[in-house]
Amino acid sequence: MTPIASIFRFLFRRQRFEAGNDAELRFHMERQIEENIRRGMTPEEARREARLLMGGMEQIKEECRDARTGRTIETMMQDFRYAIRVLLRNPGFTTMAVITLALGIGANTAIFSVVYGVLLRPLPFQRGGQLVVLHQEASAVNVPDIPFSVHEVTDYRDGNHTLSSVVEHHTMTFLLIGKDSAERVETAVVSANFFDVLGVRPLMGRTFVASDEAHGADAVLVLSYKYWQTRLHGDPNIVGTVFHMNNRPHTVIGVLPALPQYPVESDVYMPTSQCPFRSAPGFIANRQARMMTVFGRLKPDVKLTSAQADLSTIARQLTRAYPEAYPKGAGYGIKVEALQEDLTRRARSIFLVLLGAAGLVLLIACANVANLFLARLLKLERELAVRAALGASRFRLMRQLLSESMLLSLAGGTVGLLLAPVAMRLLMKFAERFTTRADEIRLDWPILVFTLLISLVTGLLFGLAPAFSSIRHPNDALKQAGGRATMSRGRERLRGALVLAQVAVSFMLLIGAGLMIRSFVRLQEQYPGFQPERLLTLRITPSFSHYAQTSQLQAMWDNLLRHVRGIGGVQSAALCTNFPFNPGGIQSGPSNATFEIEGRPVSKGELAPLVDNTIVSDGYFETIRQPLLSGRTFTPHDDQNAKPVAVINQTMARHRWPTEEPIGKHVRFQGGNGGWMTVVGVVGDAQEYGLGRKVLDEIYTPLDQSGFAGNLVVRTTFQPTNLAPLVRAAIRDVDPLLAVDQISTVESLEQESITSPRVMTILMGLFAVLATVVSACGIAAVMALAVSQRSHELGLRMALGAQRNAIVTMVVRQGLALAIGGTAIGIAGALVMTRLLASLLYDTSPTDLLTFAGISALFLTVAAVASFIPARQVTSIDPLIALRQE
Amino acid sequence: MAKPKSDLLQGTLDLLVLKTLELEPMHGWGISQRIQQISESVLQVNQGSLYPALHRLEEQGWIRSSWGASENNRQARFYELTPRGRKQLADETANWERLSVAVGRILRTA
Repeated sequence: MTPIASIFRFLFRRQRFEAGNDAELRFHMERQIEENIRRGMTPEEARREARLLMGGMEQIKEECRDARTGRTIETMMQDFRYAIRVLLRNPGFTTMAVITLALGIGANTAIFSVVYGVLLRPLPFQRGGQLVVLHQEASAVNVPDIPFSVHEVTDYRDGNHTLSSVVEHHTMTFLLIGKDSAERVETAVVSANFFDVLGVRPLMGRTFVASDEAHGADAVLVLSYKYWQTRLHGDPNIVGTVFHMNNRPHTVIGVLPALPQYPVESDVYMPTSQCPFRSAPGFIANRQARMMTVFGRLKPDVKLTSAQADLSTIARQLTRAYPEAYPKGAGYGIKVEALQEDLTRRARSIFLVLLGAAGLVLLIACANVANLFLARLLKLERELAVRAALGASRFRLMRQLLSESMLLSLAGGTVGLLLAPVAMRLLMKFAERFTTRADEIRLDWPILVFTLLISLVTGLLFGLAPAFSSIRHPNDALKQAGGRATMSRGRERLRGALVLAQVAVSFMLLIGAGLMIRSFVRLQEQYPGFQPERLLTLRITPSFSHYAQTSQLQAMWDNLLRHVRGIGGVQSAALCTNFPFNPGGIQSGPSNATFEIEGRPVSKGELAPLVDNTIVSDGYFETIRQPLLSGRTFTPHDDQNAKPVAVINQTMARHRWPTEEPIGKHVRFQGGNGGWMTVVGVVGDAQEYGLGRKVLDEIYTPLDQSGFAGNLVVRTTFQPTNLAPLVRAAIRDVDPLLAVDQISTVESLEQESITSPRVMTILMGLFAVLATVVSACGIAAVMALAVSQRSHELGLRMALGAQRNAIVTMVVRQGLALAIGGTAIGIAGALVMTRLLASLLYDTSPTDLLTFAGISALFLTVAAVASFIPARQVTSIDPLIALRQE
Repeated sequence: MAKPKSDLLQGTLDLLVLKTLELEPMHGWGISQRIQQISESVLQVNQGSLYPALHRLEEQGWIRSSWGASENNRQARFYELTPRGRKQLADETANWERLSVAVGRILRTA
């Protein structure tokens, strides 16, 4: 008989099993009797003797049953059936416990699914662990990520011994012109073997081959799955379709599968030879024309550290060979990092903090349910004692209590699993801000296993302590004949400790949330350096091939501004390359141009100072109302025929000319073709790259002297979105092939720029409120039990003349003592823990005194109320009844 | 019942039961009688441990049971060795012999 068949027979063919046993033992008995008679006993004697020899029939049967494997399962089922009955008999307790656990487990499941999807799930590429990113860095001047030039890509690709392949990637925005559409597309420009190195196979058609990258090859495109689906309606015959781009026909050769794209989401892909910038001879020849990101795949069995050593050798050779390209003072070097690390760096601290907070909430939930359990055990004490006295083993009793806690936690886990998807949807939106892996978040096996595991661990945690404490002294429990059950000192201490721990942990969470809120308020109150109200903005992309001459482009911009400014309701309008809170600007970061001040030459091999450069049309500062501090702003006369001019921000003025007047000084960009520019004005600082960011040195240059600026900002007299259709129409009048997108108001962009701290603050706040409510319930429950247990003593006190108020005060004082103790521990813990938050805080110290003081006061008030409610029960105690209870 | 009796260790009982079943299938009563006879009543098999042991051995898959007619034509449950049980018996016997030689040697020399 196979083991499973045996278990099945034992559990489900029980009558046959028992009947067989009975028959067998009866047979044995009869043979014994016959044997005895054969030896000469009388039948009665024979029967008696046989029975004596056999011993207890029922005991033998029981031992036979115990010898079966199915027996363990059977007792377990019995325990669970009993547990279900007990839990259903106490609906209040059960509901409370399940809800508490569901919230705790649900929150953890949701956050873990994000952490798993973003940080832990293996990359969806062939042997994704071998993929690495290369970063050039200038450690001495704190620039961690310098793009690569064509020369550098070649040097690292051909010089290394540890990478099996090296590919490059950069993005450009081009106009994709179809039969009757012109659309701006994010274009990834990649090496021909890019997809082969990642191990991505096309859904349709093919990806690039080496000949596509050859100079003069026919232009080809690979579409991303998303672009193909949303913009081309998943056209099944798309391969072979011809679009126009950069004034050349481009043929679609393939569509990518629905994988998340790395390093960024792009609409279309093209080989390097097709990008007009990347393939320009001047760009290729210039070692310092840097634009590309570089990936590689480690050779089999090569460790990251040996690749690092290998590439560092090349970096040292480059520094020696080209001192002008790698200045001594810069600390040039190269860093190799696993792709998975690189893609998730920004998300890491945020989600680990959230997972930590969710874990703490679950701990509090555990402590609370353990407390409820203990309170219930008090009523169960005599029953347990009786069962122990009747022969139930301690192990068996404990197992039964544990099956109750396991059932509760599994029920909690199930409900939590139903709640989790709601939270997950929100978290995914949030995660999108940090990583392209957000799409990989889903509820699948690893997550379900995690939920099951934490449910079981939770059940063990809150079940074990009460189970241990309850089955210590059955004798003592029985001795309290007929009396009220009182709490053993040890158990009382355990409950106190649980509440203390709850209070301490929820205090820590509240402090965390308090700090986040304070930091968020500071962030929101920050003056952005201009007035974002009633500012409409949109992005315009001309087809560069239609405006081959700079003068044509400038004439178009002038024409466009004239048209827009003529619309009723438009106060002023201007063009710029970037404006504060522009999501494109925030994503790509400052331009980090090198520049030179007249009279302060940069010696060879020294690092030139860095500056951010924004190109703006006349009227820009007036339109966004960035205040002019001295000198003048740009006028329409600052054009190609006039002297080159520049406006700088206050930070740059203070930084570069701390004691002198900057106006009238001359500056120029390095490497560009421009000559010296005269500083004509100083404007106030604007938070170009978002609130809370450090303001950088900024040089503004006029549009007509610099070329191109695709963002239009419009100050309106009323609700700016109402004006958007008119502005679009005006642009269409100028040139119907101008692509217009990203229509928005600066105010909403400002809000969007702080979405991640806002969501983070809300989540921490939710966790903290949840924790506080749960532990307030914990305090109330403990005090309520203490009052009902001591009703006899309290009655006696009242009979002896104690005032009710005095007794209420006494009870509240005890509750507060618990809260103060917990708060003290919480403060100590928070002083350590909040350091982890420091990187997420703006202008707020992790030990901010006001937050600590405010949260302590708030918390103690909650604790006082929580203990006052049960304390009021005291007033309902009738001394006569309480005394008679004995 | 004047002879000195020895209590059986649990593992020993399992071994004896397997050995008894080596020749032919047998019912519980038969097993207990056979052990008693061969050991000249030195070893008394207690019913309270014999039947649980049979259940245990069956659960291990070393013996299997079926109903059949006994010598006096009554229904009885017969036990027989499975192939796995035969192997187990060989292992256990070798084990036992090694052990008893070792214990004997200690008793003689020490």
